[in-house]
This record gives sequence, C-alpha cells and structure tokens, in this order.
Amino acid sequence: MALSANLLAVPVAAPLLTAALILLFARWGGRTLIRHQIALTTLALCINLAVAALLFQATAGQGERFVLQLGAWEAPFGITVYGDGLSATLLLLTALVALAVYPFAVATIDYHRARMGFHPLYLFLLTGVNGAFLAGDLFNLYVFFEVLLMASFVLLTVGAQPAQTNSGIRYVVLNLLASTVFLVAAGIAYGTLGTLNMAQIAERLPLASPAVRTVFAGLLLVGFGSKAAIFPLFFWLPASYHTPPPAVTALFGGLLTKVGVYTLFRSFTLFFPELLLTWQPALLTIAGATMLVGALGALAQPGLRRVLSFHIISHVGFMLMGLGVALSGNSLAIGFGLGAAIIYLCHHMIIKTALIMAGGAVELYMGSDRLASIGGLVTRQPLLAFLFFMAAISLAGVPPFSGFVSKLSLLQITLDTRHWFVSGVSIFASLLTMINMMRLWRESFWGDYNRPSRVPSRILQSGARQQLMLTPVAVLVLLSLILGIWGEPALRLSMQVAHQALDRQAYIEAVSPAGYISTPSTKRPIGLSDPVAPNSPAKLPGSTSTTLLVSR
Amino acid sequence: MISLLLAIAVGSLFASGTYLILRRGQIKLILGLALLSHGVNLLLFGSGRLVEGRPPIFLNKADYAETITSSLPADPLPQALILTAIVISFGITAFVIVLVHRRHTVTQTDYVHGEFVPLLREGDPFDFSESTDTDQYDWLAYEVDEVYDTDDLRTSIPPPPPSEQDESTAMEEDQYRWP
Repeated sequence: MALSANLLAVPVAAPLLTAALILLFARWGGRTLIRHQIALTTLALCINLAVAALLFQATAGQGERFVLQLGAWEAPFGITVYGDGLSATLLLLTALVALAVYPFAVATIDYHRARMGFHPLYLFLLTGVNGAFLAGDLFNLYVFFEVLLMASFVLLTVGAQPAQTNSGIRYVVLNLLASTVFLVAAGIAYGTLGTLNMAQIAERLPLASPAVRTVFAGLLLVGFGSKAAIFPLFFWLPASYHTPPPAVTALFGGLLTKVGVYTLFRSFTLFFPELLLTWQPALLTIAGATMLVGALGALAQPGLRRVLSFHIISHVGFMLMGLGVALSGNSLAIGFGLGAAIIYLCHHMIIKTALIMAGGAVELYMGSDRLASIGGLVTRQPLLAFLFFMAAISLAGVPPFSGFVSKLSLLQITLDTRHWFVSGVSIFASLLTMINMMRLWRESFWGDYNRPSRVPSRILQSGARQQLMLTPVAVLVLLSLILGIWGEPALRLSMQVAHQALDRQAYIEAVSPAGYISTPSTKRPIGLSDPVAPNSPAKLPGSTSTTLLVSR
Repeated sequence: MISLLLAIAVGSLFASGTYLILRRGQIKLILGLALLSHGVNLLLFGSGRLVEGRPPIFLNKADYAETITSSLPADPLPQALILTAIVISFGITAFVIVLVHRRHTVTQTDYVHGEFVPLLREGDPFDFSESTDTDQYDWLAYEVDEVYDTDDLRTSIPPPPPSEQDESTAMEEDQYRWP
C-alpha cells in the first residue's frame, strides 16, 4: 500500500489542533467539560497511534523513506519533514507510551491540575516530541525542542507545590542552557556551511574544515547529550523527576530523554559517521560513566521515584554505548551496534514507563514514596505487586522479557569489537540494576505495613480508578514480554532500521532530489524516492509483513 | 572590524550570562538567561554575511549581476531565525518570571540551592528521616475529585456548588486558593 507523504504531518498536527481546540473552550464550564477534554485527548492519541503504526509499517517494514516538503518549497528553502525507519520506530513507541500513560493520568490527576490545562499540555508535549522526531532541518528541530520543553516546564510545575517549584527552577535553567548550546551549534552550521537543512549539512560537512566539524560535533554532543542526560550533564533529571504527579513522571521518563538520544543517533550517523570511529573512546567512556553513575546513584536514593529516575540515566548510558559501536559489525551484520541500541531504546521506553507507573501507583496507595516508610503492599495489592515485579526483572534483564534480548545484543556487539572494559562496566551496571530493583520490591511490597495511608479511602476503593491505573501497566509489561519472546524478528527489524539510518547517501538524495537550486520543471513526485532496498546482505524474510510489536 | 566587535559582544554576553546563572539569587538567574539568549541572537546575526549597504532582494537582473561581481548580497535569513529565537526566549522568560514569583510566594525564599544542601547543613547527608516527608507530600494529588469516579461512588458526594453548575458564572469562579 502506497502511503502519501502527507501522512507525516499528522503526528504533529493532530495533537496540536486538538490541544488548540481544547484550549478554546477550556475555561468554560466546570467538571463536565473536563470529560469532553479527556474524550478529545483520547481521540487525538488514538489517531496518532494509528498513523504512527502505518508509518512504521511502511518505513521500517518496507524500507521506504517519506519526505514532505511543506508548501511544496523545495528542500533547502522550505521546511522539510523527514520520516524513515528510525523516526517511525520512535513515533510508534511515543504514541504507545502516550496512550498508555493517559488512562493513568486520567485516574490520578486531580481536578485542579486538570482545570489548569493538564490535558492540552499533554498533547502539546506530544506535538513537540513527534515534531523533533520528524524535523528535517536544524532550526525546526530547535523549535520543536522548545515546544516540548515549554510543555514539560508547565507539566512539571502545574500545581505549584513547594517541591515542584524548587525542582522546576533547576529543570528549566539546565534545559534552557542545553537549548542555547544547540542554537549556537545551529548558528555555526549556518555561518560556515550556509544551510540549516540536515541533508544539505550532511552533504557539505565533508568539505568543511576539520575544526568546524569538531566544534559542530562537540556542541551537538553537549546540547543533545544534556537533553539525553549523559554523564556530566544529567543533573537536571534526578533533581526534578520525583516532584510532579506520578503520571507526569511516567510520561517524562518514557519520552523526554529519548528525544535527546534520538537526535544523538540521527546527528552522529548522518553528519559525522567518521567521528563515530575517531571519537569512539570518548563516547564509550562517557557511556560507561553514565551507566555507572546512574546505577550507583540509584543505590543511594531514598525514594521510589528517585531510584527510578536515576535508572533512566543508567540506561541512557547503554544506548550511548550502542551508538559508540554503531558502525562496527560482527559476524552478523554491519551496523549491528546501532540496531542493538535501537532495540534497547524500544525496550527502555516501554518498560521504564510501566515501572514508573507501577511505582506511582505504590506511591498513591501509600501516600509517600520514601522507601523507609512504605511496605507491606503485597497482601493488599497482589496484582500491583505482580506487575511491578515483572517490570522490575524486565528492566534488570531477566530472560523471558525484552531486557534480556536488548542487553544481550548490546553486550554481544561490544564484546565482539573487543571493548572489554565498557562491557564489563555494563554488566556491573546491570547487576546494580538488579540489586536496586530487588531493593525497591522488598521495601515497598514486603515487610510490615506500619503507616496509615494519607490517601482518602474512597480513591483506594474505586474500582474504575484501579483498573485505569493498572491496565496500562499490564499492557506495557505484556508488550515487553512479546518483544522478548519474539526477540529475533524484532532484532532483524531494528537491524533494517539501523541500516536505513546509516545510509547517508539515500537520506541526501531523498530530501533534495534535484540538487540545490532546483527548477520548478522537475516534476518528480515529492517524497517517495524509489524504495531503496537496505544494504543488508539479503532481504530478510518475514520482516515486511508485520509491525514490530505484533509480529507473527 | 565589525565582526571583531560582534565576537567580543557575543563573548561578553555569554560570559556575563553564565556568571549570573551561577549566582544564587533568582532574579540574577532570570537576567542571566536573558543575557544568554541575547548572546545567541547576536551569534545568529553574525552567522549571516556582515555586509554593508547591500540589499538582500533585487528587482532586476542587471542590478544583481552588477552587485554579485563586487561582493555578495545581504542575507535575510538570519533575521528570520533571530525573530523566531526572540519570540521563543520572550515566552520562556515570561514563564521563568512567573515560576520565580510563584516559588517566592510558596517557599518564601529567593535562594536557589541544590537538592541536598539543607540536609548537608544539618549534618548527615544520608540521614533521610521523616523530616522532609511532609514537604514532599502532594496534597493536591489526593484531593478527591468526583469527575473521574464512578457513579455509585458519587452518591455520597454533595452536588457541586451552583457556581460550577452555571456556565456563565463558572468563568469567574476562581476562588480556589493556591498554597
């Protein structure tokens, strides 16, 4: 089925327009209108998921690339929206995470936060994240970063509790600094290369002087890296993620750092693949330090959500390790490292969201997230205990779940390329993750229940609320199990995605088919370049038929 | 010459912005962020060509051919970029000002400190006793809101006040007191 490239606009437009529609009527009426807001938001999230699944099927499954030149202005002049397998994978995962967190948010967000615009903000955040995945030039990437940052600022601080405002200041300042660094990089790219279009930058960068390349790459690494919370730049994350309502933390933990990781993947594979080899020691050192600091920091944390947010940092280190070995291949394929990193990214988005939601449910039942003062929930909430346990061992990497497949593939490529030290660090970090997860489970579910909950009992008794809170967790854990059991087809699919992302020439040709001053007479169908077969050894069987998560 | 001046201006803006962000006061934080965004805007301005007296758009080809022999025309794109960046930084500065004001109202402090600074001052940084537990307790999240509850639970809840039933007065009802 041939899809129109116009479909690329939907993941940005649908949440944006719905949020605008909600905001038009947001100040009217009382509580009934919030139900309408919820219905509209759910509709937008479902549309987003459907379109993301279609795009994923076409790009990752069949190797197509979609380019949408907005307003039919050709590549260097207009706004380019680009979608390939990597973008579509992240779009699909984002749509899944957003749709999964939403029932939890509906069940746990209070009326006053909803009245201050929680639901449209949720959609604005989704707009920014989707736009950052699809942006085809640096300045639009910056704009979408700002959209998602602005939405996340407000989501983080809405409610204005003292802890929220304290953490809000740190989060806002550090993220704005990162955006500033990124904007400086964009300015340097325009000043030296004369373009902001990513395909054209990739075309002209090999001609630029090595100093320009190094400065540009360093600025991008600092800017994107601090969004992704890599080692020396992660301090905004544990300082802020434990203060907003649990639903917001689950959404942030699933989406925000992954935007930074995606942009790191995209910029390093597209702009300077040669730096992936020359900077490999530095990248791997940063990755190892990130893993270790995240896991060790989590060990020292006193609260449930603090531990989980430190683990986000630790897992970003794993993805960065995959990027460090992205170009290297083993006996299986070239680009195995990037494929392993992509499947790790999928695993992490799914299971981290589930875990933070389960932790948030624990916190709501207990009225506190302090590990010393909670406990004994296993007899009163057996289903929650079961789900939390499953999510925890999946995060730690126990075989039937997706954590095992992704960690194994990452470890395999790291060992194959003889990076013994960083692979040892990653194993140690996995061990620390296991210890931490067991500590969380023991502290919150075992032991005595010695402390009365401060949550009104009516909330705890509401069956609808419990279902809304626990069903998404169960669905995500099930997805992780499926991804783990059918690990081989999933890995093949992510290999294909990685090959597509590593093929720079095809990206450049797809975006600017006519070279740069283009004449209007070139009547090519905009967008659909001929479906280039990925340069994998053979067309892999069984990979074109189904999407990643419902394979077979 | 002008590019040297521009470079010095960008550098000093960045330096003073960084210095101000590293201070403890909230107002200095806002000023520092504003200076940093000005620095980036100037850098974007310099990323276009710094030429004097050259129009960016030519109406006839003869002018263009004449100009292109001596030097390149002016570049209009950085100004569009700067305009966007100014709008974004304006919005963000407004948000930060409101946030700082709210924080001042809520916590009665102007001092931006690290997360564990109060703990360090008390002594043992790993003594996570119950002392700050009440501060983190988010009472808003546990307020019962009958919107989302099922109908059988709503029997015991009194009907909402008339101000919320009437759409015309509901716009004005803002009696909810933030802490």
